[in-house]
Amino acid sequence: MRLGHAGIVFRKELTDVLRDRRTIVTTIVVPILAFPLLMGGMIGLMIFFARQAERQTAPVMLLGAESAPTLAQKLSEQEGFTIVPAADDYVQRINDKQLRAAVEFPPALEEKVRTTPEETQTVSIYHFEGELRSRSALRTIERAVRDYRDQAVAERLAARGLSTELLKPFEWKRENVASAEKVTGVIVGFIVPYLVILFTLTGAIYPAIDVTAGEKERGTIETILASAVSRLELVTGKFLLVFCTSTLTTVLSIGSMAVVVLAGAEYLGRLTGGFVIALSGKAAATVFLLVLPLAVLFSGVLLAVALLARNYREAQSYTTPIVFLAMLPAVASFIPGLELNAKLALVPILNVSLVAREIFTGQYNWSLIGLVFLSSCVYAGVALWFAARQFNREEVLFRT
Amino acid sequence: MIEAQGLTKVFRDKKRGEIRAADGVSFRCQPGQIYGLLGANGAGKTTTLRMLATILKPTDGTARVAGFDIVEQPEQVRAHVGFLSTATALYGRLTARETVEYFGRLNGVDEPTLKKRTDELLTLLELHEYADMRCDKLSTGNKQKTSIARTLVHDPPVMIFDEPTVGLDVMTARTIVGFIRDCRARGKTVIFSTHVMSEAEKLCDTIGIIHNGKLLREGTLAELRQQTGLSDLEDVFVQAVESAG
Repeated sequence: MRLGHAGIVFRKELTDVLRDRRTIVTTIVVPILAFPLLMGGMIGLMIFFARQAERQTAPVMLLGAESAPTLAQKLSEQEGFTIVPAADDYVQRINDKQLRAAVEFPPALEEKVRTTPEETQTVSIYHFEGELRSRSALRTIERAVRDYRDQAVAERLAARGLSTELLKPFEWKRENVASAEKVTGVIVGFIVPYLVILFTLTGAIYPAIDVTAGEKERGTIETILASAVSRLELVTGKFLLVFCTSTLTTVLSIGSMAVVVLAGAEYLGRLTGGFVIALSGKAAATVFLLVLPLAVLFSGVLLAVALLARNYREAQSYTTPIVFLAMLPAVASFIPGLELNAKLALVPILNVSLVAREIFTGQYNWSLIGLVFLSSCVYAGVALWFAARQFNREEVLFRT
Repeated sequence: MIEAQGLTKVFRDKKRGEIRAADGVSFRCQPGQIYGLLGANGAGKTTTLRMLATILKPTDGTARVAGFDIVEQPEQVRAHVGFLSTATALYGRLTARETVEYFGRLNGVDEPTLKKRTDELLTLLELHEYADMRCDKLSTGNKQKTSIARTLVHDPPVMIFDEPTVGLDVMTARTIVGFIRDCRARGKTVIFSTHVMSEAEKLCDTIGIIHNGKLLREGTLAELRQQTGLSDLEDVFVQAVESAG
């Protein structure tokens, strides 16, 4: 094989594909803008709904309020609460979402709290389980009720000349000893391996179809096959193009995501003073290295499969099952407790998903990383061989 | 020079079984001559020419093209052949100049020669004005001219034309016919397939009548007339096909 000829094919395919608006959109524009737009949209929606919630008042009903005037007063002073007159149909109204919650006080609650300390009174809070606004009202009510109880306990202790400190023989405090990098790694390691695999695959699909089925559809396959380039040189040039676009899509997507996350974290950090996020350059570089054979694998398989198709549409239907097949093992990083071992290191795609999660959390098991890289290289080699073989099959090239 | 010896191509089809698209085709075409393969659609013309251009591998038999064996040395064969057919489209997103240069590079033309040759061809074919226009924006005529430039950029000694005028308007077809004659005048070995009798009559030094993958008759127009006692090429063709059953 003459590498120079493969290079000529690669340069031509690159020129060709860079002049195609669809490729530019799918390979460059979408990866850069998708995540910021998604995040922006989500934050915008959250702000919108939060403001809407602020403007809305929460109707709450108090049943038997005369038995607990202090607590009833406290509840009516809660921000956003509107106390509605007591009625028997409160269950129906909560179900109809007309009422966020209802609080039922037992008879003579406050008097009994003062006079019969040996008897525990029960306040019932009626709410709509799972309904967000009802749950928010429930939390506010529980906080107010707890404060009232704490106050009652403090009064009882004071009446006996005791301090509330008696209730706290010791305290505890939580302290995070993991570095910001590792804390970030847990979150990143959960979702990023999946996204990296997804982008590596999606970045390869369109160019793989364009340089195979697209070439057949446009009638240029015979033109190129009649030139002095060998089939192996041709497939190598095309493969290099698909591999580059796949890698570029991944780098742009993850880069854009990192910029958004880091900028967002810095903003949150300034607001709260405690939110710190840090990404490890070493982890990112190691994962990138592991993704390269995966990009080769996807490029080879997609080239071989798309070449079977007679036209662009057919190629799309052929490649869709590949996306599903590839994304199934890619979700491994989401599964808690699924740890990488020597056997799993041999399972394509899943191995990269798991090892990437470990790397992001700061675990560098070099023998497993090496095994994942080597096995991925073997799969990549098989995929490339498969693609090269397809380019030598006349029944595939001239399928009618 | 082209020397085909028993070229055979068998396709296997799930529904139709074994199809012998070319069946022991043998002929010889000398430099400075045009050999015409005359046959109806599905006769085996395209398969034969694709085998000569090494796009398809023969099931049996072989051929020497410009001194190279099509089975043993396919890349050398392609480097010495210009192949043009209605199926050989252009890359729509490349310009005419980029197209010519791309195929020049693939055919091993060095950069200084490539620049000179591309300019010469673009001038010769009156394409200079459109040289930097994307091929998908070119008129049909200019597309064909770009295709011609592509096939000539490495100055191949052998030219293979597979029904090059099918679907073209009269003026564009005339350009192609003129170009084929020009190739002969420059001493190239030219093989050309057609189902248009008048084209074969006008252009070919030797005509081979092909039907069901078999070469039924071969000779100059005068020889074919003499063999059959018929003056019209169409009658000669029909008689050859009918006598073959």
